Order: sequence, then C-alpha cells, then structure tokens
Amino acid sequence: MRAAKYFVMVMTLCWALPSFAQVPYERLLHSDAEPENWLMYGGNYGSQRFSGLKEITPQNAANLRVAWVYQMRGGGVMESSPLIVDGIMYVTEPPSNVTALDARTGKPLWHYVPQVPRDFVPVGLFPTNRGVAILGDKLYLATIDDHLIALDAKSGVVRWNSLVADKADGYAITQAPLAINGKIVVGVGGGEAGAHGFLSCFDANDGKLLWQTYTVPRSASDPGADTWADGSWSNGGGTTWNTGSYDPDLNLIYWGTGNPVPDWNGEGRMGDNLFTCSLIALDADTGKMKWYFQFSPHETHDWDSSEPPILFNASIDGKPRKLVALANRNAFYYVLDRITGKFITGVPFAKQTWAKGLDANGRPIKLPAKLIEPSVEGTLVYPTLTGAINWTSPCYSPITGLFYVNARDGGAYYIKGERKFEKGNSNGVVGGGGGGSRPGPADETTTSIRALNATTGEKKWEYKMVGDSWTGTLVTAGGLVFSADAAGNFFALNADTGEPLWHLLLGSSVRSNPVSYSVDGKQYVVDSAGNSVFAFALP
Amino acid sequence: MNVIRSLCGAVPGIALGIVLMAPSATAQFGGPPAAHGPRPRTTPESIAAGKALFEGTCANCHGVDGSGANGPNIRDAGTRLGPEALYQTLHTGVLGSGMPSFASLGEEKLWQLVDYVSSFGQPTGAAASGDPQKGKAIYDTNACSSCHMIDGQGGSSGPDLSKVGTVRSAALLHKILLDPGGNLPTGDDLQERAQYPAYEMYRVVMKNGKELLGTRVNEDSFTMQLRDESGNIHSVQKFDVKEIVRVPDKSFMPTYKGKLTDEQLNDLVAYLASLGGAK
Repeated sequence: MRAAKYFVMVMTLCWALPSFAQVPYERLLHSDAEPENWLMYGGNYGSQRFSGLKEITPQNAANLRVAWVYQMRGGGVMESSPLIVDGIMYVTEPPSNVTALDARTGKPLWHYVPQVPRDFVPVGLFPTNRGVAILGDKLYLATIDDHLIALDAKSGVVRWNSLVADKADGYAITQAPLAINGKIVVGVGGGEAGAHGFLSCFDANDGKLLWQTYTVPRSASDPGADTWADGSWSNGGGTTWNTGSYDPDLNLIYWGTGNPVPDWNGEGRMGDNLFTCSLIALDADTGKMKWYFQFSPHETHDWDSSEPPILFNASIDGKPRKLVALANRNAFYYVLDRITGKFITGVPFAKQTWAKGLDANGRPIKLPAKLIEPSVEGTLVYPTLTGAINWTSPCYSPITGLFYVNARDGGAYYIKGERKFEKGNSNGVVGGGGGGSRPGPADETTTSIRALNATTGEKKWEYKMVGDSWTGTLVTAGGLVFSADAAGNFFALNADTGEPLWHLLLGSSVRSNPVSYSVDGKQYVVDSAGNSVFAFALP
Repeated sequence: MNVIRSLCGAVPGIALGIVLMAPSATAQFGGPPAAHGPRPRTTPESIAAGKALFEGTCANCHGVDGSGANGPNIRDAGTRLGPEALYQTLHTGVLGSGMPSFASLGEEKLWQLVDYVSSFGQPTGAAASGDPQKGKAIYDTNACSSCHMIDGQGGSSGPDLSKVGTVRSAALLHKILLDPGGNLPTGDDLQERAQYPAYEMYRVVMKNGKELLGTRVNEDSFTMQLRDESGNIHSVQKFDVKEIVRVPDKSFMPTYKGKLTDEQLNDLVAYLASLGGAK
C-alpha cells in the first residue's frame, strides 16, 4: 500500500515535470539561438555546422581532454552525426540502431534496434547510418532497408513506421532525415543498383506520404527525358542519399543528386542525364521543382553531387544575396543564387584534371574524351572515384565568412566495363556500375582542411594531412575548426589561420562529422572513431 | 530549459532506461566459424561469376581489381588467408571495420567470390629454371634471414617472404636481387599498398641538424616512425623536423649483382618462387 502510494507520488511528479526533448518547429527554426544543443544533422537549416559556443578557444584548446567514451556494442564503423537535445544525445549505430546517451556522462539511456532483415546486402554502400532528426516529441530514423520510423524521444518506443522504398529495387538509406514544419523529408541511396532517385515527404504526426518527387524521368513524357538517349532514363540513378538543407523564408528544400546509371560507361545513355549530379530546389509544401543546377552533365566517374549544400547570405557587388555553396565531388566549389539557382561562381578546391574550367553558366568545359573518359585499360583522372569530397560535411562560419572543407587530392585509373546493365536487388545480384577504378600512381592520395572565401572560393589557408581522411569539419564561434586525419588524430585548428592547436590519436579511423554542445555551461566537442563516441572538454 | 537540462542528472529514471535496453542485433560478429558444404570446383565460369559479384558488391571499397580504394588492397587476400579464412571473412565481416557480413549472398555466391579473389595476385610468366634446393642453401649462406622471415624464422626489417612466390613472378624476383632499390613495389601494380607504400625510404632532417635515413614504418599528420639500417626504430615529432624527403630507388637490401653467379641467382629465384606453394 505504501509502495503504491509512493508510486503514485513519483508518477505525479513525473507528469508535473516538463518532459525533455520537446522540440517544436520554432526551436528548429531558431536553432542558432540555442548553441548548447545540436538539433539537426547540419546544425541548422543552412547545414552550416557552425557552433555558437565559445568556451573552447585557440588560447585553451591545448588543454582539451577526453570527457567520456561510449563504445557501441556491435561491429562496423560509426558514421553518425549525433543530435544533442537538452542534455540527451541521440546517436546511431550500424546498421540502423539508435542509442540515447546522457550527454554529460556518455551513459546509455535506451537503445532501439529495428528489425533489419539479415538477407539484405545493400549494393555499393556501407550498411551504416548517419543520424536521426527530431521534431516535437519524436525522433525520425531512416533504416538501411528503407523504412522511416518515428520513435518516442523519451523511450525509443516506435510511434509509426512507414515504408519509403522497396529494397528489392536496390534502394537503401543511410542518411539522417530532415524535419521541417510538420513534415519529414527523406531521400534514398542505391545508385549502383539502378535505383530511381526521389525525395519523399511524410507527415510527422502519422507517417502518411505527403509528396514524392523523382529526380530521374520515369516515362518519355517526364521532364528531362529528352536528355537520356534511347529511353535510358529507365536505368535510374540520381539518388538523394545525403541530407539536404532548407530555407524557411523561401520554403525551399535543397538536395543533391547522385550518378546516372551505369556509372562508368555512359555510351548507352548519351545526353546530359537530368536530373543526376545536380542540386535541386523543391517547394517544401508540394515537392514541385523550383529550379535545378546540374554540376556534371553526362557524368561518367561516379562523382555524385550529394554533398551537403550550405546556405548563407553575403554581399556580391554591393548587393545582399541569398546564396547556396556546394563543394562538389568533382573537385569544383560552386556558389549559386538560392532563389533562382543561377550560377555565380565556381573554382576548383582540389586537384582535378577533367575540365578546363566552367563556362559563364557554370557548365564544365570538359577536356577531350580520350583524356578523361573511363577506358578498358584505365584512364588516369583526378579526383579519385570517391571524389574530392564524399559524404562528409563541410562547414561555414558567419564570423570568418570562410567555408571549411576536408578536400581530397588524388587520382584513379577509371575503367570502362560492360554496358550491359541489370538492376541490382537485395539478394546481392548486382547490375554493376559498368566499370570502376583502380588506385592512381603511387604519389599517394592526401587530404587537407582548406578554408575558402565562401563567396569567391578563393583559398585563405590549408592544413595538409597525411593519408586519406574521411572526417567532416566543425567550426565554432570560439574560433576553432575540428576534424581528423586518416590515422585517427582528432584535432583543433585556428579557424583564422589553420594553425594546429591540439590533437589526440583516437586509435581508429574517424568517419563522422564532429559536433559541439554544452551541458550546464560546459562545452563538449564530440566525434566517433572506430566503434566509439569520444566527447572532449576542458578540465 | 535549465530545468529540463537538470533532469539529465535524474539517475533513477536513467537506470530504468538501461534495464530496458534491447539486445544488440549485431550478433553476426564473433561466434563459431560458419558451417558450409565442400568448396565447389573452381572453374572459369565460377571465377567469372565471382568477378560480376565483386564488381557490384566489393569494387566500390576494394577497387575494381581489388587493389584498394576506400577500403584496403586485397590482391593478396587469397594467398594470405587461403580459401577457408576468406570464406569466413566474407561470411562474417570484420569487427570494427567497415567490412560487413555478406552471409546473405549464400554459399554458392560466397565461393564464387572466393574463387575470383583467389585468382588475384597469381604471378604469370615463365617458371624459374633453377634448383630450389640449392637456392635454399644460397639463401641461408647469404644471411638473407637476418632481414627476411620465412614461416616464422628470420628477421623483420624486410618483407616477409613466406608466400613471396605467390605474389612475385620469377622474373621480377630476379630483377629485385640485381637491383633492389630500382624495383621497389611502388608501381601501379603494387600489391602491398595500404595507406601508403611500405618499405619506402625517407631522409628526415631535424631542426637540430640531426639526420635520419630509414624506411617509413608509420606516419600520420603529427609523427613519423622510421626504421634505420640496423633495424632501430626512431619516433619523430614533426614539429621537431625541418625536412622530410622521400628517397626514391633506394633500398637497404644489397644488390647480389656480381656476388652470385647466374646459376646461383637462378637457384635462389627458384627457391623464392617456390615459397607459398606456388608452382
């Protein structure tokens, strides 16, 4: 009896307290006003990955130390970019698991493991997950086998589960969804399996599909079909496998699209192959395409344009402009007008040997085909197949006006395979990309953190690393850029100069985007290495 | 918001959450080896089928010819692991790496992949003409084992030669013995390529004027580890370094040109080419 009374008392107390992780749209809209939290994949709707926290500075960064480590229980390598909401961290583990941690101590709170079929092998990508979205009292998880699942943020209990795509058609999802006003937007991967790219938008409350927009034609009368010879749009491609950005004022969603199919043999799909390797801007209410900009027409090196688009405002020729910047896998840095999609500027940010430059409209002026097109014996072209950048995120600081990107300099021999293409499926029967690549000469692929003038793309500084790093970047109001080298050294650079200030070898490769948050006024920087999440703080 | 944040310290609620955690779904790692039937015979068809599977499933990480891309070079995986361990690796994945389990492909397809990957790295060209027995004696009398290991015996400052016959042709072995520095495995067909080519020679000039010459054992953005000619390891902090220069076409291995007769060279090559069970 006494126990029952005590229980009622505790329950009453629980109800009386505000529940944590209530994140109405207004909080997402003004995420920059609460730098103690990291509320969405890209940090804010502009995907700037800028933290407003200032406790850690160039003066004290050398004192950073490990605050806690969380080691996940399964295998694989973490690529997750966690969310931090009011002291709780939500991190994902391969293939599609979610763990809630106490962000102050790293102690697990709950763990959600969806039922991913064991017989599923995604084609051409790691079975991993890069993060969740939050809206209201729910988290949103997209699974490797193409489900969008809403979880109760407090408990990890499933609220609804909607199918985004059919894995038998080659679809697989690794990205974090994007939460906007009452809606969840999610894209798909599977370009090497011939999946037809699309973006879908679901009702955040009940998981009903609101709209779906394809990125590659599905019939001869669809827009862009005349850019695919002989009906080759039916091969598919243009997947939407990385998280995009959102401009609430324009109500436009910005999302990058992937390669045409097959990847390395373009003979059977002559034409520009719209809307592959493009940035598309969609109306958030209807999914209708407002504009597109194709970076790599008729792409034949697997240089997807799926890199996160960063939205920022700057003055050009004395006029304030709304801009979107994208460091492309094809090694060019682009700045577009994000109202119209009109090209403003584009310059290489990494070594490239495939284009003479860009014309006045931003279209590449390609070098002769024999120098750049994949061949049976292999054609040496820069950048590598994985590109000058891949899925990892660059960042932008409104304080320095610089765009910070982990840039890869390296080449590969591109090989043209058979043109015959069969769609892949979940049982590992694979259509093939029509070729591939082997490593370039022994001059070693290297990666550098480069700071670019965001408006012009002009390089202000670079920090050269050893080896092939796969880590995104974070910039803070304290004046630091965080990233890691290939060996697993997590480091802090001076955001103004690129000077290295602190590093720690984490013992495994760092394959995720760092983020920052604070709990009770103490700033943390977090990233994962191997199968562990590391949080760093000052003593 | 402050009130909400302070809830993180509410330990009893957190403890309940820990109790309710679901078991991990990643039991695919660890445990006993996967059972399977007998390995089917390797045929040109099974290798071709494995190639098609490889190009769709593996090439994105391991390169279209297995020489590495985002993932490691696996050109020598067939000889290094053997078919059983290769099957198990494909079946189970590699814990802590990006290599997932491919168990769902099923036995037949896994063996086809084993057949294709095992077809890598088999050197082609004329077989060695010398006498491997005599070659072994030459190997022993020339103190090759002070730097090289064969089946667990010998030194470690040079490459392990236990299976060198499966990754180097007789003709290349002959060239290496005559001009080691000129035939370092740094070309396009490099089979050891991982993060960087091993056994490359570097000269490091420290800010205090001291110079080091050695093979690069390891390197990251902040440090470098060199092995000198005596086998000693030197750990170098890059902020102490004035200059790091790669020294091409140089090896600590001496040339055997003029030291061995043509016949002795042929015998030594025959011995080396026989290592690892190659024909």
